[in-house]
Amino acid sequence: MSEHPAITLTLPIRGMTCASCVSHVESALKEVPGVASVMVNLGTERATVQFANGSVPVEQLVTAVRDVGYDVPVETTTLAVSGMTCASCVAHVEGALKELPGVAEAVVNLGLGSAKVTYIPGVVTLGQMKRAVREVGYEASETSSGTEAIDRERQAREEEIRRQGRNLIIAGTIGLLVMLGTFYDMLGPFKAIVPEFLSYKWVLGLLTTPIVLGPGRQFFTNSWRGLRHGVTDMNLLYATGIGAAYGIAVINTLFPDAGFGGEGATFFESAALLTGFIVLGRWLEALTRGRTSEAIRKLMKLQPKIARVIRNGREEEIPADEVEIGDVMLVKPGEGIPVDGTVIEGYSAVDESMLTGESLPVEKRAGDSVIGGTLNKTGAFKFEATKVGKDTALAQIIRLVEDAQASKAPIQKLADWVAGHFILGVHLLAVLVFVFWFFLGYNLFFDPNSSFILSPYKLGAIGVFGFSLLLSVTVLVISCPCAVGLATPSAMMAGTGKAAEHGVLFKGAEAIENASKLQTIVFDKTGTLTKGEPSVTDVVISEQSSVISETDHWSLTTDHLLRLAAIAEKNSEHPLGEAIVRGAETRGLALVNAESFDSIPGHGVVAQVEGRAVLLGNRKLMRERSIDFSRLMPQAEQLEGDGKTVMFVAVEEEPAGLIAVADTLKEHSVEALRRLHQLGLETAMITGDNRRTAEAIARQVGIDRVLAEVLPQDKAEEVKKLQALGKKVAMVGDGVNDAPALAQADVGMAIGSGTDVAKETGDVILIKDDLRDVVVALETAKATMRKVKQNLFWAFIYNMLGIPLAAGLLYPFAALIISPELAALLMAVSSVTVTLNTLLLKRFRPSIRREDRPTRGAGRPQLQAAPVASGN
Amino acid sequence: MEHERVEREVARKAALIYLPMSIGAALLFLIAASVLGDYPTVARVGGAIWVGVLSLIVSMPMVTSRVKKQWRGKF
Repeated sequence: MSEHPAITLTLPIRGMTCASCVSHVESALKEVPGVASVMVNLGTERATVQFANGSVPVEQLVTAVRDVGYDVPVETTTLAVSGMTCASCVAHVEGALKELPGVAEAVVNLGLGSAKVTYIPGVVTLGQMKRAVREVGYEASETSSGTEAIDRERQAREEEIRRQGRNLIIAGTIGLLVMLGTFYDMLGPFKAIVPEFLSYKWVLGLLTTPIVLGPGRQFFTNSWRGLRHGVTDMNLLYATGIGAAYGIAVINTLFPDAGFGGEGATFFESAALLTGFIVLGRWLEALTRGRTSEAIRKLMKLQPKIARVIRNGREEEIPADEVEIGDVMLVKPGEGIPVDGTVIEGYSAVDESMLTGESLPVEKRAGDSVIGGTLNKTGAFKFEATKVGKDTALAQIIRLVEDAQASKAPIQKLADWVAGHFILGVHLLAVLVFVFWFFLGYNLFFDPNSSFILSPYKLGAIGVFGFSLLLSVTVLVISCPCAVGLATPSAMMAGTGKAAEHGVLFKGAEAIENASKLQTIVFDKTGTLTKGEPSVTDVVISEQSSVISETDHWSLTTDHLLRLAAIAEKNSEHPLGEAIVRGAETRGLALVNAESFDSIPGHGVVAQVEGRAVLLGNRKLMRERSIDFSRLMPQAEQLEGDGKTVMFVAVEEEPAGLIAVADTLKEHSVEALRRLHQLGLETAMITGDNRRTAEAIARQVGIDRVLAEVLPQDKAEEVKKLQALGKKVAMVGDGVNDAPALAQADVGMAIGSGTDVAKETGDVILIKDDLRDVVVALETAKATMRKVKQNLFWAFIYNMLGIPLAAGLLYPFAALIISPELAALLMAVSSVTVTLNTLLLKRFRPSIRREDRPTRGAGRPQLQAAPVASGN
Repeated sequence: MEHERVEREVARKAALIYLPMSIGAALLFLIAASVLGDYPTVARVGGAIWVGVLSLIVSMPMVTSRVKKQWRGKF
């Protein structure tokens, strides 16, 4: 290898602060085999490395730098790649990018027509990446963001539809004439309206030539560009197929005695219709492919273009992307909210369903936050912008969905690998088929009266070479793995988009695949299954309270007891006391101030309320004050057995009752768990609470497995133990405290994160604080993976059935072979089947949303439009 | 620029391997067709060309990719 040219590479280095850092980095780099010289510059934070042997082990250099405590920064960019049509194209583009020194990772998405590249800035440039993509036969450009991107993408798609539509018209119209000419003898009475000269071989040749050189030219130019760089794709399959059919037809027309079958074997119609059907497939693909990425377009369209800003007391309409933080805006009924902000004046209901999946409009008043892209329904309000541009919730959601759609599921990696190697295998098979029919098959089985499937056309005098070539070409044409390439990404795009519509954000395709295989769902208790704050659950009145009633002319009810306790606790800062005050307020009880209040640390409070001495606290306090609660002890113990904390209340030194406080379940916890069980999943709860309390909650909600007394730092370990049992585990938590457990789980679900999705950990983000969205996530994941599997079935079944037929398996028995044009039609149908099957996912609705629909609007808060000063 | 130079060099080296392989496959077919049967010249030559073209298509990416891997470390 010594003859290889020397290569110089410049790496950016982060973390160097002094000359000794320079020395460390230089030493580390010099130890990498093959490095001839190293020069590290502290000022520019760069290392210039020269290799004597032409080899560039960039990964070793990066590892060497990182091993000594410094960093080589990487950046990520997304390129728009056009011209890709199948999984092998994906492999080629990824391969071309990964071969560039400095490219760490390249993930290509066929459906989106994008390549997400992680690279070392300075080592490789965007220009080099684009050139590398172009060199293997595709077009690459930098992507833009926001509405510009959507416009550009739509324009590119429309242009492709127009281009293939034009090709289809040319190939279809002329191809029809070629068909009429080819089958002239079989037209019967219709011969009168078809000119005879159309059947002349040279006329058929003249008609076919513009099809091959016009609409068919794209396959030759694309495959040639790839071949020059040693890559093969489906264009090559088509080019060899069309080229061979056309070449043989021309030779047999011009030189009928050349031995290729003569005039009886001029397959002009094969070349013409083959081109026509392939172009038809391309056109249908272009037409339907864009629809699978509709979710992103829908999200982008939510962004209002105009904002009504109040500046210097006047309303001004400005472009929404020019709104700055702190701007005050006015939103009228029916208008979209331009950016994120906080309501400062007015009252309205806002439809947030497009971002959160929440079916009912949400009330907004001063102090509430509003989300850009949502729709104001009833009133007008003013709000102050708090987040603009790429920081808004909508922008974050779009970015997350885009990232998810650009990622690859493990099943897709496998499909891409298969498809990438498939074409080489097919060419090898084409050689074997040719050799078999040339040396053996033709002599053994050929029958001049045999014909193509679905065609009256006889093979006639075709020679051994023509016949073998025909079968070989048909194998090439029928084997195109274009549908395989579309099967997974198109379903993933539709699935992630559908989930986003319902307020569930998958961070990657892998999360969808993993979510579809889950067996156990572990819930964090506090703040996930429960509200995370104690509240009053039970109020029990003592029978002895009647004594108090008679003497005081005062009837004690549960509300009275709660009110007395709340007044006593009004000045308390203890969480249990606060829960009692909240409980009383929730029931609309008027709370006056206590005449006196004294806290008894660790025990309770004593207060004078409306002339009565109220004692509130634990049983120890009551014992110390010699107040006999023995009659209420059975109820107290039962409540404690349910995991509740019991407060004893005495009035005028007499036992008055009990107030039980507990962390209560969230509204939809029970239903969510019930549905998870219906899906056949095991559920577990993880909590730091004692086992009795934990089991009480578990009983209420219907949890199968309780993991109690687990310290926060040990939650991940518990998840690991479940995984060690061979279970696929999801962890559902609040995304902040449970981060290690979310990361450890096969799928981490961060719930109730609101719309500040960027900072969340976890593979799945549930925007709303609604546990039923776990079910939505799982049902969507399962539906998506079902679609992926169906698509892969449809993609492979055509090849599995088609290839043996194309290779002539039926011929010895039925004297029938598939014509190249029928092969092309089957392949076009294969791609279209897959795309249409994916589009069916658009109709999917999670079970909960299906049930929500009829109740939409019912119980909607009746809001009055509140007048807001316009600023004028 | 070094990247392009390496690309050219890899392409040249790879061609020195896959072209003889493809031509060899074509010649093998020609010899087999001449020895094993009484095939017309056009069929023998046409078949050899077709086998040669397909062999080229199969061997070209395989050889090029292998030569590239040998040539430089991958990231």
